[in-house]
Amino acid sequence: MNVDINSMPLDLTGGKYRDIPYEEKERLFNEVKADVRFHDVLYGCYECGVCVAACPSARFYDFSPRVIAQAVAREDVELVYILMNDSIWDCSQCFSCDRCPRGNSPGGLITLMREVAVRNGLESAKEALEGYGRIIYKIMSTGTQVSPDMLQPNAFPDWGHHVNEIADNLDLWRRALPPETLHTVETGWSVSEKTIIELYLIWHMTGVMDMIKEIDEGLFMILQDVMEERLEDAGYDVTFDE
Amino acid sequence: MGQQVIPVEELIKSQKKPGFKYTPEEAPTEDYRDILFQLEKEGELEVLRVPEPYVEVTTKYGRKKKIPLEHTWHHKSCGQCGHIPGYSTSIFWLNRQFGFDYVDPSDQTSCTAWNYYASATSNAEAQAAVAVRNFAAAAETGRFPLIHCGTSFGHYKEVRHELLHHHQVRRKVREIMERLGKRLVFPEEIVHYSEWVYAIRDRIAERQVIDMSAIVASVHPACHYHKLVEEDAIYDPEIYGAQRTAIVTGTLKALGIQIGEYSSWYDCCGFGFRHILVSRDFSRSFAVQRKIEVMKEEADPDIVVTHDTGCVTTLDQSQFAGKAHGKKVGIPVMSDSQIAALAMGAHPYKVLQLHWHNTENRPFLEKLGIDPEEKWREFEDALEKLKRGEKHYLTWEDADA
Amino acid sequence: MPNQDILVIGGGPAGLEAARCIGDIGYKAILVEKRDRLGGTPDEAGYAALTPDLRNAEEAMSAMVQAVENHPNVDVRLGTTVVAAGGSAGNFTITLKNGTHEENLNVGAVIIATGFQHFDPGRETQKYGYYEYEDVITLVDCEKMLRAHRFVRPSDGKKPERVCFIQCVGSRDRRIGNEYCSKVCCGIASKEAIEIRQLVPDCKVFIFYIDMRMYAYWEPDLYWKAQEEHKVNYVKGIATEIVKKGDRLLVKGEDTTLRRPFEIPMDIVILSVGMEPSQGTREMARIFGLKQNKYQFIEAVGAPMDTVTTSVPGVFACGACTGPADLEDAISAAGLAAMRAIKTIRHHSNKKAS
Repeated sequence: MNVDINSMPLDLTGGKYRDIPYEEKERLFNEVKADVRFHDVLYGCYECGVCVAACPSARFYDFSPRVIAQAVAREDVELVYILMNDSIWDCSQCFSCDRCPRGNSPGGLITLMREVAVRNGLESAKEALEGYGRIIYKIMSTGTQVSPDMLQPNAFPDWGHHVNEIADNLDLWRRALPPETLHTVETGWSVSEKTIIELYLIWHMTGVMDMIKEIDEGLFMILQDVMEERLEDAGYDVTFDE
Repeated sequence: MGQQVIPVEELIKSQKKPGFKYTPEEAPTEDYRDILFQLEKEGELEVLRVPEPYVEVTTKYGRKKKIPLEHTWHHKSCGQCGHIPGYSTSIFWLNRQFGFDYVDPSDQTSCTAWNYYASATSNAEAQAAVAVRNFAAAAETGRFPLIHCGTSFGHYKEVRHELLHHHQVRRKVREIMERLGKRLVFPEEIVHYSEWVYAIRDRIAERQVIDMSAIVASVHPACHYHKLVEEDAIYDPEIYGAQRTAIVTGTLKALGIQIGEYSSWYDCCGFGFRHILVSRDFSRSFAVQRKIEVMKEEADPDIVVTHDTGCVTTLDQSQFAGKAHGKKVGIPVMSDSQIAALAMGAHPYKVLQLHWHNTENRPFLEKLGIDPEEKWREFEDALEKLKRGEKHYLTWEDADA
Repeated sequence: MPNQDILVIGGGPAGLEAARCIGDIGYKAILVEKRDRLGGTPDEAGYAALTPDLRNAEEAMSAMVQAVENHPNVDVRLGTTVVAAGGSAGNFTITLKNGTHEENLNVGAVIIATGFQHFDPGRETQKYGYYEYEDVITLVDCEKMLRAHRFVRPSDGKKPERVCFIQCVGSRDRRIGNEYCSKVCCGIASKEAIEIRQLVPDCKVFIFYIDMRMYAYWEPDLYWKAQEEHKVNYVKGIATEIVKKGDRLLVKGEDTTLRRPFEIPMDIVILSVGMEPSQGTREMARIFGLKQNKYQFIEAVGAPMDTVTTSVPGVFACGACTGPADLEDAISAAGLAAMRAIKTIRHHSNKKAS
């Protein structure tokens, strides 16, 4: 039995994923369920609608945290696969849905589903994170998420001319900040070399770089070069490509 | 009959007057501290205690939370430091004004949760290890972490749950900390800077030099502060009958600011983590249509005050495109730390660093009796010194000159 | 001489019925009530009409009260509480307190009928603003207005045009800690909706629900009647948030059947608050050392085949002190508790005689 009849009315993809073997969909579903946090984020769903009413993404996209919770709770493998490809990246992770009276955290559940999508290099994950690579590079390599030098007009065209003004005065304005740690331009604040090395070791020991490799091989290689070199300088013989 | 009959609706109203108070006995959630201290007893981890002096506040379920006044280790925020640096500068400035001991460390990384919520390119063990590494770094300085970012605050509470309840996560983190030569340490409380501002709100009011009673402010409480692991957030029977978090609102009221109510107060700002960087159509529409326009229509405030990185950024930056489309926008956005600093006489450019903000804020300053032109000239004079090479950086002494 | 008297604690529907049954069979009941009058929650909360048949609450309760007050075998002690208990089945020593006066009493068996209290909406995790907005009220507040034949907006005394009920407030909620269904709120909301429609015919009435729980005859008598005859609107999906918009309340939720978020202005919002064990129930469980379930209701240890026996021999419980109950449940269990209590006494008398 390869098709779950429950999922048919909601498959608005026109059977896009029909050719993916059921066993593969089930494997990914089981990976979501195997996460230690799974039982913290999903109990069951009685369709009260609280999560949807509180959800910003549900107002903007064809997105429903209730459908995601319901589909996973029903163990509807086909529908879950569709959602993992087409829906989970719409979530804005604000956790407004955490008021679920059943104790579910749809936002938390989506986090686990996204991790599985990334770990398995799903096309949807690659698409969603297209253009996001520079941010991943920044956080992984510097330990700060956004840096002052990202404030460039081409990156934030809809923020207006004030971004140009910042970009033009960046170095001067950073030096006009009284806190000593904020004089940086390429990082949010100055992070010590020892701290960065410790962060790289955490990435190494937790397999995070393997996840990045799945969704963006090029980004992985750049990060690998940077990190392995700095680790080597610090006296660590570490390779991320194992 | 001459007997005075009280209408039934008056009876119904009168029984609600005192406001609501939770008692810890009724709390529906476990007190994580019980587990935390038990694990410490079993030698599983080390608890970093809140240092004296601290202020006790009440959280959602009526429990007490200790907010340290000083000996704090400032866990900075990526977005604040990167794009709205007057936010964190104001927090430091307030500490200095009160003569509180604090550390602004370089031995700190981002909690990395912004990226994690955006891209999922991480996992529970990595997130917990990043958190504990930072906490261990704080412990090494003998200070207590004060978290600047709402998302870090929210995420660290998630991490706390995972560490306390899943021995697999603990085991992995212990293995990593051993490799790094660090202790597996976790703080007794996760404390957000806005809780610290709230805890000292009366002291700030005592030293207030700018009258703010003409100001109407609309408050946006940050989702990751009061929704994500809700029981750590501060509630007060005197603020909305303890039916909404007291944070920010309590601080503004202490400064004499009027609160401008609006019906979408609970809605998210639209930040969205990934969205604000690469899918901004969503963030922009949500911020303008569900937040700013509603505030403008219903409260017409002079300012929006919030207490998280993402919220200040989204609500402020999104108004530019809204204005281009003729939307009802144009409300400056600041953090509670900036407002508190301003009330105590901080310089709007040298300390609040308002030139990093987008939406026009000069009318707001003028309403407070501050001349923005003059203040900007003072700032430009300081910049000139840097340009001329007289000094390389602006110092705290320059900021208060 | 073994003690033949039975102590009944609580003067609400269950306690009244238990005391009357004991008296009718010819045993002596001592009925202890902490308030200064009998009638329990229906009287104290000022119910207008009873669920399910909309019978006048005052008349129905006063009939029950009179049956006990005039009973030669029932000794009513008002303004009295039980403060200590000792002994065992067949011979309990009970300390009663009335004001500052304490009195010891010997009884052969005990029936606890200390009932429930309504959930305090201040503890609700959805944003209903009960303590923020005057026009957010509870089923109990609504009942008071219906009894006064004056259903108006508390904020300004105006007639409402749109009113809604929100179901499962404080019930079926893991975050609050009350996972159970309070059983009666669907019926009471439907009953009150009918009464509002009768009292203010121009007023539109909505009920936001997760599941409508209308078992047996409540289905045609309340649910269908409200929907078909009185045009009450039932919407699947409860509200997550209530805010003020102008002089009205804005209710936000999702219509899960039509799969769309809604934001509807309302004049009055009625929270269908559920049941929790009363302070008296918690106190009696402590004094008698009774096993309680995880929600602090007194556990009926033989349920479902025996709904009144507690963990302590000779102590029985009936009505809403054992869990959410409607009137039918409470009255039926009261008769059973009376029967079991009498059996206890006779058993101990026979033992003594032989």
